[in-house]
Amino acid sequence: MTVVDPQQRAYVASQAADARVNVELETGGMTLNMGPQHPATHGTLRIVVRLDGEQVVEAEPIAGYMHRGYEKLCEVRTYPQVTTLVNRIDWLGSFANEVPFILAAERLMEVEAPPRAQWIRTILFEMSRIANISLFLGDMGAQLGAITPVFFAFRDRERALNLIESATGGRFHPNFDRIGGIKDDLPAGWVEDCKDVMGRMRDFCDQIETLLMGNEIFASRCRGVGVIPADVALSYGLSGANLRASGVDWDLRRDVPCGLVFDQLDWKVWTHPDGDSFARYWVRLQEVRESTKMIDQLLDGLPAGPIMAKVPRIIKVPAGEAYVETENPLGAMGYYVVSKGDLVPFRVKIRTPSFNNISIVPWVMKGVYVPDVITILASLYFILGDIDR
Amino acid sequence: MSRLSSADSRATSEEIPATEAADTEEAIEVDEAREDLLADLRAELGDALVDTHIDPGREVWARVSLESWVAAGTFARDGLACHFFDFLSAIDWMPSPFGRDMNSQEDLIVDGAPDSAAQAPGGAAADEQATGYAGGDTRFQLLARVHAPSRGLGLILKADLGDDPDLLRAATWVPVYAGAAWHEREAWEMFGIDFEGHPNLIHLYLPGEFEGHPLRKDFPLLSRRVKPWPGIVDVEPMPGEDEATVDTSEADANEDATEAAAE
Amino acid sequence: MGLVESGKMPKPMTKLLNLSRKYSLWMYQWGLACCGIEMGAALASPRYDMMRLGVIPFPASPRQADLIVVSGTITDKMAPSVRRLYEQMPDPKYVISMGSCTNCGGPYWDSYSVTKGLDQIIPVDVYIPGCPPRPEALLDAIAMLQAQIIDEDPAERWKGEPLVVS
Repeated sequence: MTVVDPQQRAYVASQAADARVNVELETGGMTLNMGPQHPATHGTLRIVVRLDGEQVVEAEPIAGYMHRGYEKLCEVRTYPQVTTLVNRIDWLGSFANEVPFILAAERLMEVEAPPRAQWIRTILFEMSRIANISLFLGDMGAQLGAITPVFFAFRDRERALNLIESATGGRFHPNFDRIGGIKDDLPAGWVEDCKDVMGRMRDFCDQIETLLMGNEIFASRCRGVGVIPADVALSYGLSGANLRASGVDWDLRRDVPCGLVFDQLDWKVWTHPDGDSFARYWVRLQEVRESTKMIDQLLDGLPAGPIMAKVPRIIKVPAGEAYVETENPLGAMGYYVVSKGDLVPFRVKIRTPSFNNISIVPWVMKGVYVPDVITILASLYFILGDIDR
Repeated sequence: MSRLSSADSRATSEEIPATEAADTEEAIEVDEAREDLLADLRAELGDALVDTHIDPGREVWARVSLESWVAAGTFARDGLACHFFDFLSAIDWMPSPFGRDMNSQEDLIVDGAPDSAAQAPGGAAADEQATGYAGGDTRFQLLARVHAPSRGLGLILKADLGDDPDLLRAATWVPVYAGAAWHEREAWEMFGIDFEGHPNLIHLYLPGEFEGHPLRKDFPLLSRRVKPWPGIVDVEPMPGEDEATVDTSEADANEDATEAAAE
Repeated sequence: MGLVESGKMPKPMTKLLNLSRKYSLWMYQWGLACCGIEMGAALASPRYDMMRLGVIPFPASPRQADLIVVSGTITDKMAPSVRRLYEQMPDPKYVISMGSCTNCGGPYWDSYSVTKGLDQIIPVDVYIPGCPPRPEALLDAIAMLQAQIIDEDPAERWKGEPLVVS
């Protein structure tokens, strides 16, 4: 085939020259070990990355540096003790970890918490989502090099933590849920403080939006990076905002009824069709805003009444199996509780969202550049305790 | 409604129609969507579907034969629209031979001070190897859950693996659901189940030199064997509570007993 | 610094060096788990600002750090990394163990994969109890450490094992 057009000829010649240079400069692959102590990996995740130049050929995450053996420990602890322990799986939004376990135990005991307890549980559940995701909003910027939003995030998160502390007594790890209800009622003045803080969180979201999402560098680093199509996401078991950012309209709060009162609120599920890192960030930002609105509605409609149903003092859960999955801040978290009628559960299988979210890393990292590795990890958003249990 | 029923739930659907069920005191709920799901599964698998259980409005369990494990997964994904892979794990149904090596206040009130020489696992029923929903014949059982987002239903699949802990083998689900790779690695690590055809069956959580399979019931937690639980304290009754409900004399007696036994 | 190692420093010089060291600790943050978030809150949050105590929390590598705050559960898989990191730090170095997981194993005291306490691997100067301890507790621990530093004999710190890189 002869090329007559001079411009085309020049183009073809340059491509040929390029190919020659590439062949001459062929380098051996390099193995880069990121972690287990690395500022970008949210804890002790180790990723072994095989590189060809700047491109990733293979990436393998090595988990287990925070494996504490939860499922074995749950078999030797009574149900209230398991509640305490289970707070520490997803350690940023701690209250949300207790909820599916308590709901599963209540299902086995055929006990339903009174309405006020259910509403307060929902409020704290959404509050833990705000505490968790607001850190993500600031932290993703830090991973990409934008240090300022982290300080905004920590400052506004402190307000949410203050609220959680005044209600439950603990900044994290509140250990507030009980089988049959919650531990204490809300203190006086909490509702007004909460409304005030929700207004400030909405301001924080607006600030972050102008700081980060409008930033050209952020957009160009995140758009089109780490695209995960919907069918791949489903087969790997991705959940939460990761799934919704790939266009799948599925939210456990709306679709699977459990003991929380989301069906009585007016709210929206946010999805994004792109499936890239920018979409995941965008969906989470909208979800925080939506959570603040939901909490406002919950505070307005909070019913009066008792906060604890009648349960025996010593909790023996009848024999049976139950699986409850809720839409936790990180994704879909579920507890498969097998009980044999004893004081302790017989087997607890903890389905954590980050475990599935990170199992997609070998697939999604093929062919990306090294800086994009950080972007993708940051946008998938995991917590080590959630991966490793 | 019996909870450990391994009876075929389809039999109940023909007895009382749903409209009348609301009037009777003990309503037998009919969960038609889940019944249909089980009907499709039975049509596909035939005899390989060993047992089922439905918790109406909530979950459906199906126990399949081990040989049809992959076929069940493939049909769930293609025929039942269960595209979302939730988790895959296993259950060891043997009651733990070690008990809990611990006595909380609740244990002392419920069971009395235990015989420190022979730690009974607590409760007479614990001697039997009872199994859960949809039955089970062997000590080890595979457990997996998949979900159909378009239908809003989930399906829990179980399969009997066997009694011999050294001979646990199953076919891999990786061709069916890509996310099963890590779950099967964890199941291998924790229970010792060998998944045939798995691309990368190596340690996931534990360091390479770790010996044993932790989630098996005969794997002891050594700290508990060696040290008594540090949480037993002298408990004062709450203000307003009477002394009778919190009996600390047994706790003190137990402490002396364990100290004497430890020496 | 031969004078310091051999212990022949005059007392006022010692005091001056200790003073300068205690107000310019470079902290390497080994934030592993939940306590790491409280440590991050102590550092990056404008409320519990740690830099006002003189602690700079962002050294680029352990070789530039003289204080390490280990916060979070240490598993048996992670323990060799902690040991290696400690050995990479040059003398004089200080270790703060934050939270009950690093103090003694914490709520996971009976787990099969958790190291029951940081002091099984490296020597610890200050223990902070709590699960998680409040950020103010970390500030209190640093103040306690500073009180330790001002009175110590630097020769003892420098007479430790040679710098081992495994």
